[in-house]
Amino acid sequence: MLDTYREVVTPEGVALHLPAAGPVPRALAWLLDLMIRFGIVFVAAMVLGVLGRSGAGFNAVVLFLVYWFYPVLFEALWDGRTPGKRTLGLRVVAANGAPVGWLAAFTRNLLRVVDMLPFGYAAGLVSSLFDPWGRRIGDMVAGTLVVHDVRAQTPSPTPVDHVMAPPVALQPYEQAALVSFAERGPRLTQARQEELAEFATPLTGARGTLAVTRLYGMANWLLGRR
Amino acid sequence: MRQEHFVKRHQPEWNAFEQWLDARGQQVKRARMSRRQWHGLADHEMPARYRRLCQQLALARRRGYSPLVTDRLQQLMQRGHGLLYRTPPPRWRRVVEFLLAGFPRLVRAERGCMAASALLFWLPLLVVFVAIQLTPELSSSLFDPAQLMQFESMYDPDDPLRKLGRDNGTDVAMFGHYVWNNVSIGFRTFASGLLAGIGAVVVLIVNGIMIGGVAGHLQAVGHGDPFWRFVAAHSAPELTAIVIAGGAGLRLGLNLVAPGQRRRIDALVDGGRRGALLCLGVLAMLVFAAFVEAFWSSIAWMPAWIKYSVGAALWTLTLLWLWRGGRNHDLAEVGETA
Repeated sequence: MLDTYREVVTPEGVALHLPAAGPVPRALAWLLDLMIRFGIVFVAAMVLGVLGRSGAGFNAVVLFLVYWFYPVLFEALWDGRTPGKRTLGLRVVAANGAPVGWLAAFTRNLLRVVDMLPFGYAAGLVSSLFDPWGRRIGDMVAGTLVVHDVRAQTPSPTPVDHVMAPPVALQPYEQAALVSFAERGPRLTQARQEELAEFATPLTGARGTLAVTRLYGMANWLLGRR
Repeated sequence: MRQEHFVKRHQPEWNAFEQWLDARGQQVKRARMSRRQWHGLADHEMPARYRRLCQQLALARRRGYSPLVTDRLQQLMQRGHGLLYRTPPPRWRRVVEFLLAGFPRLVRAERGCMAASALLFWLPLLVVFVAIQLTPELSSSLFDPAQLMQFESMYDPDDPLRKLGRDNGTDVAMFGHYVWNNVSIGFRTFASGLLAGIGAVVVLIVNGIMIGGVAGHLQAVGHGDPFWRFVAAHSAPELTAIVIAGGAGLRLGLNLVAPGQRRRIDALVDGGRRGALLCLGVLAMLVFAAFVEAFWSSIAWMPAWIKYSVGAALWTLTLLWLWRGGRNHDLAEVGETA
């Protein structure tokens, strides 16, 4: 329940990272979709109202399609995203990380009937709180998962052109920490950079601005800029 | 190898891969249209390039390169994975094949649940029907007087010009109403099976009692003839479809209660997949039934013998289809059809 990150190892032996989405963004996406669906039904009722009695028949068909097939169509045709999910940065994927197929999209939306019980998606909420990946019952049966879409990162330029060898040999995870500090540091305020750099005072032997510069220098050294 | 060297050496590959994803990895139709203008990676190289990328990602992880590099590779890998492992789009030929062969086979594969579902539906229906013939007052305990009045006026034999089974509404309006109403009932019958099967059992019994009650009451008050002429044709696909939806729901509930030698979640996923396929068939049957009900069943002037022969033909065809459909087919696996 606390760790919602799901790693799935692909046939090629590398792990897919699937950050599962919790109930709140999903409920918001659902509300947005609900409004869009109301909009469609409303507009259809206005247009078909002109046709009189047979318009009512087409209207019922529109209602049927919007009620049962709106999410299915969007999820199957639009990379697992309804307009609401797209706005909230969510996506439906199969449990193995592959894109969701027609049948799975159909299943998970059919079983909303059960998730809605006894009122207002209570069953779905309870099940998504107990499931390690926040799935509602329909998701479990359909073998799907709602994940946060991975956002693209913009690479930042190297902050200084100063190079300094670390005084001791560093472990790989320590190197990774240093390099990622150098990559993300320029986006922080000067005070925050100094505050963070001072955690590494035993390594740099300095405080304040000098510590920041030395850390950047070591990162440059680790990146091979010599 | 240092990170910078690694990046410098492989950057062009990654960029080519990314360009391919941007340009050709989107919609199949658009990709096919712009095939001639494409001068980057050839499509057939993609799987090999993807595996290479995976290897580079694993290497970058192993060597502890910075998150910037591993994240970029990770993103490319996930996009590539999404593309290579997506499910193929459905084809029209397969839809026809599924309806003619795959669906009846799937129904027969679940014959136990289907038989239970049929029993749960038909037994209350017949019992209530017979009971009302014996003691007609029973119908007033099932329905309130206003409802009974409405049923009677819909099948009034003294008003031969009006449409059968209608209070108001044109054929098209009723078609829409039947699609919305009946298919929703069918889908709910299946889905509520997930409540350990109890939901499906309740829906089947309640529907059996209601339909038996209406039929019994109309028969008892002497409006039987227009009623039977109305239901003769569309009852075959409609009632059979509800029974099948119930059977699929029972299967799902049973997989929850008694998963056998599988993990419960695996049993549920299997039941859900089969149930969804069955629901697609149920959808087709109910839309067909709605069509018949709206445009054929309501015709009042048609002589009774034509109506009854069409009804008999549709019952025979429906049962024959479910019994024989797909027997001579050597499809490997029913589930593959969708």
